[in-house]
Amino acid sequence: MATTRANQIDNITPRFALLSDDQKQRIYLGMIKTLNDTGAHVHHDEARDILEQHGARVVGERVFIPPQLVRRALSTVPPTTTLFNWEGEESCRIEIGRTYFGPGPTPPFFIDPDTLERRKYLRKDAAMVARVCDALPNIGYVDSLGSISDVTNGLADLYEHADQIQNTTKPLMSWAFNVENCRDEHRIGIVLAGGEAEFRQRPNFIHYGEPISPLVSDYHAMSKCVYCATHRIPQVYTPCSIGGATVPASHAGQLVVGLSEAMVGVVVAQLINPGTCVVIGGVQSILDMRQSIYSYGAPELSLLSAALTEMVHFCGLPMFSTSGCTDTKTMEAQSGMEAALSIHAAMLSGATFVHDNGYTESGKTGSIFQTVLDDEIIGMARAIQQGIVVNDESLALEQIKRVGPGGHYLYEDHTLEWARRHWRPTLMDRDSYEDWDRKGRPAMRDRVVKKTRDIIENYEGPAARVPADARKQIDAILAEAEERVRSQSRPKQLQ
Amino acid sequence: MSTSSTCSQISEALIAGRQEELLKHIHSALEQGTEAEQIMNEGLVAAMDAVGQRWKAGDMFLPEVIRSAKAMSGAMEIIRPKLIESNVKTMGTFVIGTVLRDLHDIGKNLVAMMMEGAGFKVVNLGIDLEPQVFVDAVKEHKPDILGMSALLTTTMPQMGEVINALKEAGIRDQVKIIVGGAPVTEEFAQEIGADVYAANAAATVDKVKAMMSAA
Repeated sequence: MATTRANQIDNITPRFALLSDDQKQRIYLGMIKTLNDTGAHVHHDEARDILEQHGARVVGERVFIPPQLVRRALSTVPPTTTLFNWEGEESCRIEIGRTYFGPGPTPPFFIDPDTLERRKYLRKDAAMVARVCDALPNIGYVDSLGSISDVTNGLADLYEHADQIQNTTKPLMSWAFNVENCRDEHRIGIVLAGGEAEFRQRPNFIHYGEPISPLVSDYHAMSKCVYCATHRIPQVYTPCSIGGATVPASHAGQLVVGLSEAMVGVVVAQLINPGTCVVIGGVQSILDMRQSIYSYGAPELSLLSAALTEMVHFCGLPMFSTSGCTDTKTMEAQSGMEAALSIHAAMLSGATFVHDNGYTESGKTGSIFQTVLDDEIIGMARAIQQGIVVNDESLALEQIKRVGPGGHYLYEDHTLEWARRHWRPTLMDRDSYEDWDRKGRPAMRDRVVKKTRDIIENYEGPAARVPADARKQIDAILAEAEERVRSQSRPKQLQ
Repeated sequence: MSTSSTCSQISEALIAGRQEELLKHIHSALEQGTEAEQIMNEGLVAAMDAVGQRWKAGDMFLPEVIRSAKAMSGAMEIIRPKLIESNVKTMGTFVIGTVLRDLHDIGKNLVAMMMEGAGFKVVNLGIDLEPQVFVDAVKEHKPDILGMSALLTTTMPQMGEVINALKEAGIRDQVKIIVGGAPVTEEFAQEIGADVYAANAAATVDKVKAMMSAA
């Protein structure tokens, strides 16, 4: 479900602002100057050639991007892009002012839905995660929460994409190890869209790509960026910037580098195919200087993400933000606290995609239980974000006069109408002591597990509706990929 | 000035991460005739132990620890040749790199710096390295420990390739191998035939020290 920016006359949306206009201008200029003076490594010959042809200075792998190239790229980024699901229905509009929360890609571990223990992520998990996300009303797009371990090494991404796209009617975000797998994911998208031209008209997934912080676009990240731009696949191009380690520990410095890293992808994509959709942002958090972990629960993650959202909007681009994640390993107060704060901050800042809802253990373990918990928090945050309607009807002066001092509003038609708009919990406990006791004193953890297992057991999703012919073609693409990987890998002899 | 007060000055400078001052104290200690072994044990090792303890206790943070580690590395460049001259056992050599098709640098560098802090001679090979680079480095530097890093599930198997290449070159037994990186696990380390897995930079130092003292 999308969150629409509320009507500014009736309903003043409570968005907070972190940065002043002057601060935004200075960070923006810092990014412009960094790309021009420091530049970035681009490990991709074609991308470097294109940048050089358009006025960038190239020295070895390093590219210095002049201000006019950045401004030109920003002028051709589309203001809005529509995504569709595999059934061809509009599933999302990528534009400033609409917010979609979802999970994130590639943690190696996963919390087993039955045992609640950490284990490797399996192929069956991908379809299950897609189905559960499909069922959750506040989750706006689908991603995997893991990297499949039980398929041919190097094809985890492709199997995930093939399984997830069929198991959801929501927008799908897919990642890829390399450009070959990215092309195969595109081919699956084309099969379901009914042709390449149809896919361009109605793209049914968005690609997620990631340069390496600080300021390195490696070959794989850049080749996928080029491929997506060429074929008009909407894409995310975002770093994971680590405050104090890969970027400055000062937040302003982090924003400058984080923005610059992503902007390289924007410039290349727009030079290759002006008007192609690029979303930037990324994980913006700090290195914990005691544990040397990249913190997913730090308040700085919320602060930096909200500030970067303002900067990305300042540049006229949609933002890929982060929330609903935690550093802890189990469902407990910490996971709820960290998720609630980051979800609330992301909701108020108004990023377009907000990922990692369902990340635990600092991004190393995906948990569908965390996603289910986050779904409830997102609902609560949305209730706040929607603000207060102020008009004649909502001011209710007539009702106030009629009820008068000492009366009650429970029997008013007005109450029947407006009480419907109150947020209703699905997981939060508001039972009486007696009811809670009778139910066996369930804690939040118990309620989340019950709700999650209930969805896994009973929610079917749209996979059964995928035409047999399309499924056959997808299987053929997977088989070809298996063959390609087999022929590429050298025979090994383990002693 | 007494030898012990010089050693405490050395410790103090090292804990504070003031490299210039540290090197000055070491030079003057050597000029006064203090043995390298004494500087090492009473000055440097004592200080780095204190740094480790303070870090674990939360009194020191990573950037401070790294400063001390870099200072230690500078100090060891002076001390190590003297220890070797007088046949004193040194902490040994550690070679580290990120495997082929993986450009991730930061975690590997963190391990390298922490190992320098522990007194090892560290050869940091870089990123995106062919197995042969590791083989050549083992031949050239004759390290006690070889460390490998990978952040991607696709590049993780390259660690196994390096181990195979070392076997083919007939030098697998000459070096202990430690592996790490976000997706790497204990189980994976065993699968590919590495000796040790470490979850992070601090654990690397502890595990390597344990391995060295067991050897």
